[in-house]
Parts: sequence; C-alpha cells; structure tokens
Amino acid sequence: MGGLVGIDVGGTFTDLFYSEDGLTAHAVLKVPSTPDDPSRGLVDALCAADIDPDGLDLIIHGTTIATNAVIERRGARCALVTTKGFRDVLELGRRDRPHIYGLTGVQNPLISRDLRFEVGERLDHRGRIVHPLDEEGLRALGLVLQDAKVEAVVISFLHSYANPAHELRAAALLQAINPAWEIVTSSGVIREYYEFERTSTAVVQGYLQPLIARYARNLTQRLSGWGFDRQALIMQSNGGVVPVKQLAERAAYIVRSGPAAGVIAAARVAAEAGFHRIITGDMGGTSFDVAVVVDGEPEIAETTNLDFRIPLRLPMIDVHTIGAGGGSIAAIDRGGMLQVGPRSAGAVPGPVCYGHGGIEPTVTDANVVLGRIKPDDPIGLKDRKSLDIDAARAAVAGLGRALGLGLEQTAEAILTIVNQTMAGRTRLLSIERGYDPRDFALVIFGGAGPLHGAALIREVGIGTMLVPPSPGVLCAMGCVIADVRYDLSRTIEQRPEALGESAIADILADQRREGEARLAASEAKVREIVVSHAADMSYLGQIHPLRVPIESGWGCAQIVAAFQAAYRSEYGNDLGDIPTVIVSLRTVVQGVRDHAHRVREIPRPRAAPPPFSVRPVYFGGWCDTPIFRRESLLPGMVLAGPAIVEQSDTTTVIEPGMRARADGYGNLLVEVE
Amino acid sequence: MMDPVTLAVVRGALEQIADEMDLHLIHAAISPIISETNDCAHGIFHPETGETIAQGRYGLPVFLANMQFTVQNILNLANAEGGFKPGDLWILNSPYVCGTHLQDVVLVSPHFVDGQLFCIFANTGHWMDIGGGVPGGWAPKATEIHQEGMLIPPLKLYDAGKLNGPVVQMFLANVRLPDQIAGDLSAMSNVFNIGRRGIERLTGRYGAEALARCFDEMMERSERQMRSYIADIPDGTYRCEDWFDNDGVTDEPMRIALALTVEKGSLHFDFTGTAPQARGPINLALTTTLSACFVALKHIFPEVPVNGGAFRPTRFTIPEGSLLAVEYPGPVGGYLEVVGKVTDLTFGALAQAIPDRTPAPSFGTTGVVTIAGRHPETERYYVGVFPYPGGYGGSRQTDGLVHGTSPQSMANFMSIEMSEHRYPLRFDYFALREDSGGPGFHRGGCGSQYGFALLSDCLVTVLGDRVDHPPFGIAGGGPAAPNSVRIDTGEGLWEPPLRSKLEKQAVKAGDRVQAASPGGGGFGDPLTRDIAAVERDIRLGYVSAETAARAYGALFDGNGRLDRSATERRRAVLKKEMSDAR
Repeated sequence: MGGLVGIDVGGTFTDLFYSEDGLTAHAVLKVPSTPDDPSRGLVDALCAADIDPDGLDLIIHGTTIATNAVIERRGARCALVTTKGFRDVLELGRRDRPHIYGLTGVQNPLISRDLRFEVGERLDHRGRIVHPLDEEGLRALGLVLQDAKVEAVVISFLHSYANPAHELRAAALLQAINPAWEIVTSSGVIREYYEFERTSTAVVQGYLQPLIARYARNLTQRLSGWGFDRQALIMQSNGGVVPVKQLAERAAYIVRSGPAAGVIAAARVAAEAGFHRIITGDMGGTSFDVAVVVDGEPEIAETTNLDFRIPLRLPMIDVHTIGAGGGSIAAIDRGGMLQVGPRSAGAVPGPVCYGHGGIEPTVTDANVVLGRIKPDDPIGLKDRKSLDIDAARAAVAGLGRALGLGLEQTAEAILTIVNQTMAGRTRLLSIERGYDPRDFALVIFGGAGPLHGAALIREVGIGTMLVPPSPGVLCAMGCVIADVRYDLSRTIEQRPEALGESAIADILADQRREGEARLAASEAKVREIVVSHAADMSYLGQIHPLRVPIESGWGCAQIVAAFQAAYRSEYGNDLGDIPTVIVSLRTVVQGVRDHAHRVREIPRPRAAPPPFSVRPVYFGGWCDTPIFRRESLLPGMVLAGPAIVEQSDTTTVIEPGMRARADGYGNLLVEVE
Repeated sequence: MMDPVTLAVVRGALEQIADEMDLHLIHAAISPIISETNDCAHGIFHPETGETIAQGRYGLPVFLANMQFTVQNILNLANAEGGFKPGDLWILNSPYVCGTHLQDVVLVSPHFVDGQLFCIFANTGHWMDIGGGVPGGWAPKATEIHQEGMLIPPLKLYDAGKLNGPVVQMFLANVRLPDQIAGDLSAMSNVFNIGRRGIERLTGRYGAEALARCFDEMMERSERQMRSYIADIPDGTYRCEDWFDNDGVTDEPMRIALALTVEKGSLHFDFTGTAPQARGPINLALTTTLSACFVALKHIFPEVPVNGGAFRPTRFTIPEGSLLAVEYPGPVGGYLEVVGKVTDLTFGALAQAIPDRTPAPSFGTTGVVTIAGRHPETERYYVGVFPYPGGYGGSRQTDGLVHGTSPQSMANFMSIEMSEHRYPLRFDYFALREDSGGPGFHRGGCGSQYGFALLSDCLVTVLGDRVDHPPFGIAGGGPAAPNSVRIDTGEGLWEPPLRSKLEKQAVKAGDRVQAASPGGGGFGDPLTRDIAAVERDIRLGYVSAETAARAYGALFDGNGRLDRSATERRRAVLKKEMSDAR
C-alpha cells in the first residue's frame, strides 16, 4: 500500500497530512491558501511536503470552495423553473427572520426573481397528474432562457418527490434546446417533500455545479502536472468521500466538508483510544465548532442553513459553530460588564500581539500575557520572529483599568469568559440531543483548542480531554480516513399498511441499487460495501419524524414496533393506538476503504522526560511551569499540571490539579485529578 | 461591590440555567407547538421583588417581560397567605393575572436555601387545547373568556410538595387532548429540577450570600445599560395613534394611542386615549401590554440583557377598563393583534426621536387562517392553521424583509406539500405580493399571497386585522397595502363582513380561500429612493410601473424603460411642489 495524503483547504491555510499507513502522521504542514484557484495552494502543500507522487496511492481533500461561493454569491448565473404559481417559494421561505431580536436584515436569494419562471403543470401529493406539463410553454421558455444567458437551469415542481416524471421531461426538453446547460431537477437532488427546502437544495446544487465542474477539471490537471494520475477523492459534509469525477454532480454535498472531516478524524482517533461517546471541539481564530459522536457515528443534521433562508436539506454532520476563537475581542458593555466575542479581530488585523494593526485585546493576547503561548517563533505567522508581548500587555491593561483589575486578572477574566461561553454551548448541544455531557470525553483540536480544552472539561464536568497527535491539522487527517458514502432518501408519507410490505422492499432495493451503481461508477477502491436502511416515522399528525433503523424484508408490524420502541426511548412513552406514518425511507451505501488497524496495549506509566524549558505561566498566580516538546512525550509518560506542551501546530495547557498521560497512539489524555 | 469577573461569570451561569430549562422542556414536551415552535419560556426571579434575574433565550419574545409581571402577581398572593413554602408549585392561566391567552399555562415555584426563600422559578408553555368553543382556541366571535376555554385561577398544584390530584383530573376532563396535556404538565413541573440543580451548583461554588449580591448588582448593571440607550434618545414626548378595524363582533374601529415621554434616561409609556375594552377578543391583559413595549424596545436595542434591571427605567399609564388592561370576563383570543399594534405604536413614536435606529412597522397582523373538518380519506377530524406571514418595515439601513414571521413569535409557515398531505386542499399559488410594501427611501418588504381550493366541505375561521388601517410608514415613508381575505365561491369573490375576522364559516368543496398579507411600512421619502433601486424593483416585480410613477416619481420612455434624467427632473418638481405646499 502506498502513501495517502489528506489536504484541507481552508480560507486562510491549506493543511496537509501525509501518512504511509493512513493513521500515523509522517508529514504535517500548513501553507497559505490561494483563494483565486484553491488547487494551486493544494499543489503548493504537496510540493512543500516534498512528497514523491509515485509513492502515493490516493489524495483526499476537503475544501471551502463551495461554502465560500454561496456565502459570497459567486456561483453560476442560474434560472429556476417551477410549477405555475410557485416561483416565489425560493424567496419566501417558511416565514422567519434572521435574528430573534432586531427586525432589520435582508435576504439575497441565489436566484433573483427575474430569473425565476413558471410553467403549467401540477401533481397532487401522491404524484398523480392534475395538470399535464405544458410542453409548448416550456419550449417557449427555453428561448427566453437562451436570451437570459444562463449557465444552469434548476427545475423544481411541486410533489416531484412523489413522481419525478414532469421534472425529467422538462429537463429533457430544455436540454434539447441547449445541450451546454447544466440542468438540475429537484427530485434528482433529494426525493423528499418540503418544497422550499427541496428547491433551495436543488438551487444550491445548480448554483455550484458549473463552478465545481471547473474546479474538478483544474484540480485533475494540476495534480497531473505535478505527476499524480491515480485517484483523488473529495470530502463531503456527510462524512464520506466522493471521487473527483463525480464531484460536479455532488457539488451541494461538499459544502462545509472541512469541519465534517475534523469530526470524522476525532471520532476515529477517540475510538482507537477507547472512547466511544465524544464531544469534538475545534477552536480556531474566529470560531468554535462543536459536534457529538456516539459509538463512532457523528450526529447528523437533516437541514443546515448556509445563510439566511438558504437551507440545504442533505444529511450533514451536525457541527455547531459559535463566535469564540483566538481572535475574539474583549470589550466592556454599557453596563460595565466584560464581554468576549462574538466580534473577532479575524485574520486582519488579528490580535494585538501580531502587530498587524489590531488595538483591541483578544483571547490570544490574554494567552500571551499569561505566558501560555510562547512569544517566539509564533505558529502561522511568517512575517515576524516573535509576538509583540508589550503591545498585548498594554491593550489588556487598558481594559483592566476600566474594570478596576490588574493586568493578569484581566487576562484571566478574558479566558474565564470565553471558556464559559464555549462550555455553555457544549452543554446545550448535548442537552439538545438528550445526553448528559459528563458521560462524554472531549476531543479538542484546531490551532487554539488545546489552549482552552483543560478549562472546558473543568467547566462542563467532562472527565477526559483527548489531544490528538496533530490537533492543528486534524481535518486533513479526517480526509484520509473517511469512507465513500452515498445517502439516498424518498418521501412516502403513508401508513405502512397502505404502502404494503412489498412496496417498501422495492423502494429499499431501488435505493440500494442506485447507491451501489454510483459506488461502482466511482471506481473507488473499497474493501467492502455496507448498506443500511432507515425509516423516518411519526405518529399521524406530528410534524417532526423520528429516524428508525430498519432491515430490508421487515414486515409492517415489525417496522411499527421498531418505531414505537424508538419513540419510548426518546420520549419516555409511546402514544398507544394513534396510527403511524412512514414519512420517508432512507438508505446509506458506504464503500469501506482499506484502513490500517492498530491495536496497541496500554503503555505502562513512566516518568515524564526532563522539561525542554521552564517559564513563568500565570495560573491564579505566576508559577514556574515546565514546558515540554510534544515529540518528547513517549507512550506511558505522565505529566502533572501545571505544564505546557508545545508542538509545531498548537500549544496544550495542562492546568494545576490535572494530569496528562501519553497513550500508545500518540494522543495526550488529560484528566482532572 | 462584587468583583466584575465573578459577576460576569455568574450572569453567564444564570442565563445558562434558564437556557437549559428551555431546552429540557422543548425536548420533553408532547405538544408540537412547544417542541416545534418553542412556544414556552423559563425564568429565574428575585425572591423579594419578583424581578427577572435571568430568562431563557430559546423562548418566544412575547413572554419577555410577561413572566416577571406574572411572578410579581403570584408573589403578592403567596405573601397574603403567609408566604411561599418549600415544595409549593402554583399553576394558572388566567389572562387577568398572567397575560397572553388561556392556552399559555404558567407554573411558579419558590426555591429555598437553608430555609430561606432564595429565588423563584417560573415557566410558561402553550397547551394545544384548553377546551372552549373552538379547537385550538382562536374564537373571533367570543364575547367572554368562558367561550375561549377553561380558566385556571392562581392555585397550588403542589402544596408543600403534595400534589393536588383532583385538580389535575379536573383539567384533563376539560380539554380535548388529555394525554398530551398530562404529558406537558408533568414535563413543565419536572423542568424546575433542572433549575434547582443549577442554583445549587452556584450556591455551592460562590455561597448563597455572594450569589444574592450578584442578583442585585446584575440588575443594577442592566439598568445602567438600559439607561445609557435611553440617553441616546432625545428628551421629549412622542405621540402615535392607530386603529383596529373592529373587534370581531361589532363593526366599529377602535383607537389605540401612545404618548411616549423620554426624560432624563427614563421612558414613560402613556396609553391614555385608547379605546375601552372590546366586546370581541381584541383585548390585551395588562402584563402583556407591558411585555409588548419591551419586545418593541428589544427589537430596537437587541443588545439589552433580559432582566428586571432593564425594565426599571420605564413607567406606564394604561387606562383602567381599556382594551390594554382587559378585565374579567373580557375575551383575549385576538391578543396577538393587540401586541402587534403596541409594537407598531412604539416604533411609530420612537421613529420621531431616533429614526436612524427605528424600522417602520411590519405587516402587523398575526392573524391565522384555520380550516377544520373531517378528512374524506381518513375520516379523521383535522385542524389546519396557517399564520399570516408579511413584510417588515423599511429602515435607515435597508429595505424591509419579505415574508417575515410576526415580531413577537418565531413560528414558521407550514410546507405547502405537507399541508396537501394532511388536509383536503390544493394550493393554487403561493407568491410574493407585488406592490404591497410601503414606498420609501427604503421601502417596506413585500407581503405574500396564497390561495387554495378546498377538496371537501369544511369550516374556515380567520382572525386578523389591518384591512381598513394598513401598516404606516415613518420618516416620510408610505403605508403598506392592506390585508385582504376573500372566498371564491364560484359565483364571485366574497369578502367577510368584518373583512379579516370570520368564525367557522361553512365552505364547500371547490370553494377557494385567498389571503394576501400587508407588506411593511416604508422608511423615508420615496422621492429620495435611488433610481437604480426603483429600476430593480420594477425588473423584479416588487413594485409595478404604475406605483413607481405614482409614489417614486418615475417617468418612462416610449419603450416602457425608466428614463433616469426625466425621472430626476420630475422628482425635483414634485419636491418643490411639496415644500411649497408646506
């Protein structure tokens, strides 16, 4: 088996993780991203890592290109064709507003009203034709679209999930008019009801498809120019990968794939180390991303809002983001209370200590003042050899004067408040899912995560924090270990008896065939194919369904019993004789790749190495604190807090009263004593 | 004085406790209206003053200050009978004590530390049914509260820890969904354990005495913060008035008036001149009138924290016997219409003082279209509820939002495809309503319009407003298009006699219901609107060419294209005419 490379292309940095066995890091680095053509930064990273293309089997990468194109409205000029009377569904949404308080704010739909068109046709909720498709009207519309110079056409008809015939016919007619158009049908993207969410999802796909197709071609060419012609896979937001040749048709699936990759890697690293219920925390410069993983399965969100009124109804790893990061700004509100974030100094001007013009103190500045971050050889800064501690001190002290606090107390207060914000969100996330956060371990990563993880576990009441070997590039590592994955779904909205057992089995078999066909077409090398089925079910009249794993071949009674059992375990009771409804049927087809499998014994405890250095660090008072290099920590070594562990991509703080040990896989496990 | 770090941390921790209470109920409630639309609220209140210490951030805006005034009422009742005892839990839904409407049931429970009353917990949850004449509870023709459902006066559900079982049996015997209601009642009672555990963690960490001092200081800080915002408003008295179309029973308009006085960092809301209590359900209970004023303020100053301190620099004059202080047995089912109007009046008054911060009123009717009957396929009874969406007002910063939710709620509109699965109806259209936003420098957002055909006989109920008196503009902006409800019986369009209020009207299969909601009011003189923006409005169909000519001074060339220079010249003439007229 040759080497594997995972690359996560972020907004600021492109991270690379190179491994010969798919798990152990043999090279890890960061290079600046190149937003004008992200594939250039990707090849820069490969060159910087000095990897031999001939020794490489596979390149897998995550990218923010799709997310950014939506947020910055840089996608294709796109038209929308809907059922007569419904072209505004995309703009109206479902009656909402951007924020609970404050009535200002606007919406900017991906397709403006003058490019949204209607055509005569109507199906009912069972997919029966009420009005036939107006083919003549559609042909006339085709000529209008020619004049409008669109690149892509999205077709979204009411109830097409129940019967896609009109959408398919319309697609064929329009494609005949202009074979160059990228045409997307809503039922082809998701076969589920909720016209706004389905239309929006199809529009995101159509809006991105031309852009992503170009990106896929560029990427293939660049990799080829670099000397690599074997397979490249792209990370999806559902936690699986897809080959670059299928990338364009899966454009909507790669939105927010980087954070998903981080969760996948955290889940894998934690499972190997023996932790099966974890909360993942990824803290970078501007935000803190949290997710929950139970038994290796990340929690999945059905719908994710990419922007106000731009829902994407595709299964995505449920990553929650709050505005708390190293760049979060500390300020005093009008009541005289200290606040940290959500305002951020961002990459520009950045924290005061970067010397790039920032004047308001940030979380990073507080960490510098307290000696937690070493001032020399700063991570991710190319233009300076050391941080400007004096400027950071002056900014923090200035804030302290307004609060009547000394320098160090002010810096500690900033950390206390940002940690409380993150801890609060972490608790709420697990409570929303019905879990007790104390039953979980925290896997902490991102450039700033390990500086704050110790405080987080103390605040939330979590027993163990796991710091993976390369926390700063964990998302890149996640790319390397993800499997190939296709999610299929179809809305039914019928009672199981009305649908019938054979119809249920037929739908599941169709979904399985479709997923397997896509997997075969991908030509991805997989060790085995794993197929799982589920039904979304509810009691008649309920709005939100519950997902129930089912097996192909189950009878109606068995499916209903499984739903009732799931309902009882979720809500504590079932609703007796109220009829149940199958809202939709789902199938996941996964191509499990050949992964290295490591089993290492728990190493015997042994003493810590001599510290690399000692420096004063503030923990309620200055104390001389041993500083260790991460690479000097061998399996079994135990450190007592306070201690600081430094490595090229992050700094880990071990607080007084905590203990850290290195496990057999290179992780650092930190526990409250 | 508390040290500022402890204070900030304690405030965060208290808000977290209230948030966790919200989430626990949202997770555990059976009623979809709680679990899907967060129609609930939780708070922690001061043991002596009943002021809000912290309130959860997941609950609906309408409960913002309503909870504090309710707790203060219960605190007085408890004190009159010797004070709270550990293990007491009060329950009520009487709007005359706890505001809003009968569906919102409130629980209040004291928390003791070392034998001393330390704080009070309260929550509110919307029950799916509360008995009464109309399932779901919107009864536009009600003339007394008893037609709206079961009235629960303040009483002890638990007395010193002992459950009053018979009273629960009595509740369950009087509602249409007893299983759901039983589940929601126990879920709401259980949530207080989450609050108690949270407070115990904090008293363990900081000590009860220090924590109590934090309560007081937090409120002083919030008061200071609120006063600093009020200080940004120039002193003066700002007046605004508006009208309800009618009360659902008698077809006469009803006046609502506000004189808002800003003086030395405090606000005085004076509603003198408001019409007397209505016969029909267009009434508001006192506590919710106060709350509505704070919701309006919070929409203008979203940064203000939600606790009693922020409510301190305010005074109210609300005439007794008016529709803003309804008395028994006045009905309240249309209370959201009144809340909307109070919000709009507050905006209308403040717009005169701080136009740069205040948006024009939004569509201003929370009204619902309800259809009910037996589904021909399943034979089951169904109730479909379609709340009004509409446009938001323009502001100094931007045009108004299209198709917003009502300012006091966060509830969504149902999916069209899903409603066709559930109810025997078929939508004909669901569209942006052109020309419905008020003209302005920044125009109001468009409202929306929808129509559906009924596939079997059913009953239609509508409870709305703003047909005769559409949302107004501010700072020179124009009004939005009025609300409109029609029924197409195949023999022409029929408008209900009371326009947007209609109770259990029988309609036949094949009849069509058509509703069109107002947009938001306009902000600023429409003649100052960027001409390119007017062109875009016409191109996108937000504004018709006729309206562009009439309201925005647009002139068109022979090809129907907007002629920029001719438009500028015409605007100059129109502006001169207007200033001359003044």
